[in-house]
Amino acid sequence: MNRINTFAGCLLVALVLLVYACDSSDDGNGTSPTPEFDQAGMLENYADNLIIPGYNDLQADANALKSAADVFTADPTTANLENLQNSLKSVRQSWQQVNFYQFGPAETSILRSVLNTYPTDTDKVDQNIENGGYTLGSVDNIAAGGFPAIDYLVNGLGDSNDEIVVSFTLDIQAENRKTYLTDNANFVKSNIDLVTDSWQSSGGDYRGTFLDATNAGTGVGSSTSLLVNAMIQHYERYLRDGKIGIPAGVRSAGVPRPMATEAFYGGYSAELLVANLQAFRDLFTGANGSGLDDNLIFLDSEALASDIRSGLDQAITEAQALTDPLSGNIENNNDQVIEVFTSLQEVMVLIKVDMTSALGITINFQDNDGD
Amino acid sequence: MKAIITYLNKPISIAPLAMFRVLFGFIMLISIVRFALNGWIKTLYIDPQFYFPFFGFEWVQPLGPLGMYLMFAVMAIAAMMIMIGFRYRAAVWLFFLCFTYVELIDKTNYLNHYYFVSIVSMLLIFLPANRSFSVDSRLSPGLKVDKVPRWTIFIIQLQLAIVYFYAGAAKLNAQWLVDAMPLKIWLPAHAHLPVIGQFLKLELTAYFFSWAGAFYDLTIVFFLLNRRTRLAAYSVVVVFHLTTALLFQIGMFPYIMILATLIFFSPEFHEKLISKINSWINLVAENSGGTEALPERQLNYKKGMSWFLGILLVLHFSLQLLIPLRSKLYTGEVFWTEQGYRFSWRVMLMEKAGMVVLHVTDPETNKSWEVPNYQYLTANQEKMMATQPDMILQFAHYLEKQYQTAGYSDLKITAESYVTLNGKRSRLFIDPQTDLTQVKDGWGAKSWILPMNQPKQISVRHD
Repeated sequence: MNRINTFAGCLLVALVLLVYACDSSDDGNGTSPTPEFDQAGMLENYADNLIIPGYNDLQADANALKSAADVFTADPTTANLENLQNSLKSVRQSWQQVNFYQFGPAETSILRSVLNTYPTDTDKVDQNIENGGYTLGSVDNIAAGGFPAIDYLVNGLGDSNDEIVVSFTLDIQAENRKTYLTDNANFVKSNIDLVTDSWQSSGGDYRGTFLDATNAGTGVGSSTSLLVNAMIQHYERYLRDGKIGIPAGVRSAGVPRPMATEAFYGGYSAELLVANLQAFRDLFTGANGSGLDDNLIFLDSEALASDIRSGLDQAITEAQALTDPLSGNIENNNDQVIEVFTSLQEVMVLIKVDMTSALGITINFQDNDGD
Repeated sequence: MKAIITYLNKPISIAPLAMFRVLFGFIMLISIVRFALNGWIKTLYIDPQFYFPFFGFEWVQPLGPLGMYLMFAVMAIAAMMIMIGFRYRAAVWLFFLCFTYVELIDKTNYLNHYYFVSIVSMLLIFLPANRSFSVDSRLSPGLKVDKVPRWTIFIIQLQLAIVYFYAGAAKLNAQWLVDAMPLKIWLPAHAHLPVIGQFLKLELTAYFFSWAGAFYDLTIVFFLLNRRTRLAAYSVVVVFHLTTALLFQIGMFPYIMILATLIFFSPEFHEKLISKINSWINLVAENSGGTEALPERQLNYKKGMSWFLGILLVLHFSLQLLIPLRSKLYTGEVFWTEQGYRFSWRVMLMEKAGMVVLHVTDPETNKSWEVPNYQYLTANQEKMMATQPDMILQFAHYLEKQYQTAGYSDLKITAESYVTLNGKRSRLFIDPQTDLTQVKDGWGAKSWILPMNQPKQISVRHD
């Protein structure tokens, strides 16, 4: 009796395998293929229409920032300062399009930390200017370099542009300050160059790795898993918390910290927030191509996809209603800012919990076994 | 009753037991080396600033970098000593204590197969597994025996049977059998694999795997016990566990089970295996190994010892049978509340994910804020906590203490948490009104876990 059962069991396994094998062998013979989500197409859309163009724009803006810094240090006039301030704003805007992609090359060079750790440590910046001998990007200078440090230098050293120019002309530290400014512009540019080139086939060809068949699927380490994990981590810690939660005091015992806004000196933090949120929405939808929302729809999670879209839309609308400088908005009407935080958090649940579960993606900011 | 006792005391070749010892030591050695090479000693037992001890074992604390590395070194050496059977009794005691201690440090890292390893190493303490095919029995030939009572092998088989049976019984639920969940979510994630990938995306495959998995768990031990079906059944064991190894991130579990189930094979099989390994060893040692025909020796226990072991084992297996059933004492869906979920061989049963936000309110100033979990917990801890109520409570209590040291006196801490189970849309998990600082952990039912099927909208918006 037992023997029969086992044989039956084994036979069943063999049969099923046989049926499957036959099934697959007549692929070409007109049997309708199982409908399948074109994951490769989605990843290609991300690489070719969002990530690589995003980095290219960022690179162009970083070059412009470097030139503007060179022009200004050679000839520190208010006109050149304004030009530099605008360049900084452009490159920070472009950064909002790609700051999610902290995997592969950007992860290797910890691009987000070196470019955009805020609030900037102004004491450390002043110290570096005075003493020299700093290494930008080193652990103790993480909060004294990149965009926020440049923001402090070009927007934060006086109430008017005339006053700021004085810091680069008559001030006793003027020459050192110029050096620190150009060093930072070069530092920003070289880091961005490195990551941008790594995606190109002429460089590290990370695009090839990203789209390689061995990295398909949604298992741990697959490209989709890397992308989704990176976007969620960014959303949680750097969008929701960094841009809104921390300055609004949600993370500091309810005491607001307006100086912890992203572009505190330039005063366009809310604008950056809106840009990042819109870019995040594009990341979710794949902009004009195939994206994660299409993947969800394929998996019969249409309602979830539309809830995420409308949740993001609501957050964007609320963020657009904020006024710059965001630090002022926090001081005068923090409830409005916290309302945006709450909306961001509602979407957070949907992407971190529901979306990953539906896609079969494990949140693995850290690796370990399960059972 | 008498027949059972006679059966259990029937002399049987020690070969399966000795081989089991060798294989167990071997796979433990590999597991520990792998664990260390993955850097997990550091990320799981040194890096965290807070750990989630098991209820009643709060005194089990990590031992600092040096202590933890030492602990694992001791474990590796002990595993090796178990394998070669050198100073066996001390080695297996040491292994059991170190391994269990480490597992008790943080329930974040709880895995069913770690629990299994703890149990098996505990059983090995009482088994004469070094009485043959071991360094011990070579060094002191007086120790060597050929036959041992049947029960010494039977209890390992029984333990395996319990693991499989409960794992199978846990799969007998509507989600698993009727909806093929969570395999319907998990399998298509591997649709890109060569050859098998095209099948994994089919819904039929999820159903086949669900039913076959349940059938396998419930029946495999019977087929392994039966001599005529054994070989076929063992091939299924190998295929089944290798498949799970391929598809899921479950570490060493499949390999442990593939080796452990060899205990069901006949003495002759193990004797052949041992004599083959012996001839290799002798070849290497260039020792022609005189096989003098010694009189066959049989291990007999003194009466007092028999009683002692008997009572101990009856107690152990009663607990083994009862512990997995304790979840029945609680109301609500066990997958959702996880009351009585652990230590019950519920293996790879559900797709569950969550997120928890802890809200802190200071009644004195009426200020409220949210806790950045990632400042206190590792990513792994945060993830595991999000779906397990007792961990959320532990973390809330830890925070209360942290804030007290920072000078706050009477804070209110509530949890806004969302959990999705088997692909259903996420729901509120913990009652957002409950002040967790006022809740004590214990065996009692956790009334502050919301039911799984609840009206969808419970507002937690702090307007």
